[in-house]
Amino acid sequence: MNPILADMYSTVIPSAPFIIGAYAIVWLALLVYVIIVVRGLKKTEEQMALLEEAIAKKTE
Amino acid sequence: MEKARKKVTAPEAGQWPDKVLLPALVAGAVLTTVGFLMAFLYAAPVNGAALSTPQLVGDNMVTNQQLLSQKIFYFHMPVAIVSFVALILAVYYGIRFLMTREARFDTCSRAAMEVALLFVIFTMVTGDLWTRFEWGVWWTWEPRLTTYLILMLIVIAYFVLRNAVDDPERRATYSGVISIIALVDVPICFMITRLIPSSIHPVVTREGGMAPDMALTVALIMVGMLLVAFALYRLRFRQLRLAERMQALKDQLED
Repeated sequence: MNPILADMYSTVIPSAPFIIGAYAIVWLALLVYVIIVVRGLKKTEEQMALLEEAIAKKTE
Repeated sequence: MEKARKKVTAPEAGQWPDKVLLPALVAGAVLTTVGFLMAFLYAAPVNGAALSTPQLVGDNMVTNQQLLSQKIFYFHMPVAIVSFVALILAVYYGIRFLMTREARFDTCSRAAMEVALLFVIFTMVTGDLWTRFEWGVWWTWEPRLTTYLILMLIVIAYFVLRNAVDDPERRATYSGVISIIALVDVPICFMITRLIPSSIHPVVTREGGMAPDMALTVALIMVGMLLVAFALYRLRFRQLRLAERMQALKDQLED
């Protein structure tokens, strides 16, 4: 490879893992947070429905 | 006093913001993805050290090394700004709680603080990856980094304190106070590079501003991240409110 071109791009390839890491961590963490909150929300909704049922039975 | 309490209208799950939650999340994901692609395909690379001999690449005469690591900036700056916005929201609701003693404001504050912590961590991680590559170290005691680390520690302390106090009213009061302490650090973080100039965190406006391609990319990602943060906040608030209502029903059932 042309040594000038090699010098021009010398910082590109070595920095790639850090750039990929930065973007991947942000996106993955956001995705994981959304999944955790949505799963928590669904679980709480299920428990809420059971509880409301129990209260309705108790008040009958 | 009783009348004043009745007049307080606190946010509740199921209100209009929840109706735009999903569109906001999708729009945020789309905007950040478009911004990500623009960062690599549209925004011009930043110049590094000068080459010994200028080189013609296509139609352009390239005179410097191309710094790909600078691309981290396109996520780093927006997530940092969003962390400040989320923190300001958390403090706003913390203060509303201290003024009204309405527990729902504390729930809002907690949800916003969680989002703030998430974005503070993103800021630290993206910044550290850049520092590691460019400087070969994971950490340096640079003024902005140091003040931001203090901010992160205060936000972590907020959650440690919440878990340590059982009484809900005392917990909410202490949390409100800690959130105000965190807010004090925000302008310090923001202004520190203006008071103590640093090569890592240049004051962009003072140095002639961003090039239009760079500014457009940052703006798109910023709006996208704000929408994502808003959606996360409302989603978490809904979950917390539902859990609170369930607890109230459980207590009612036990009585």
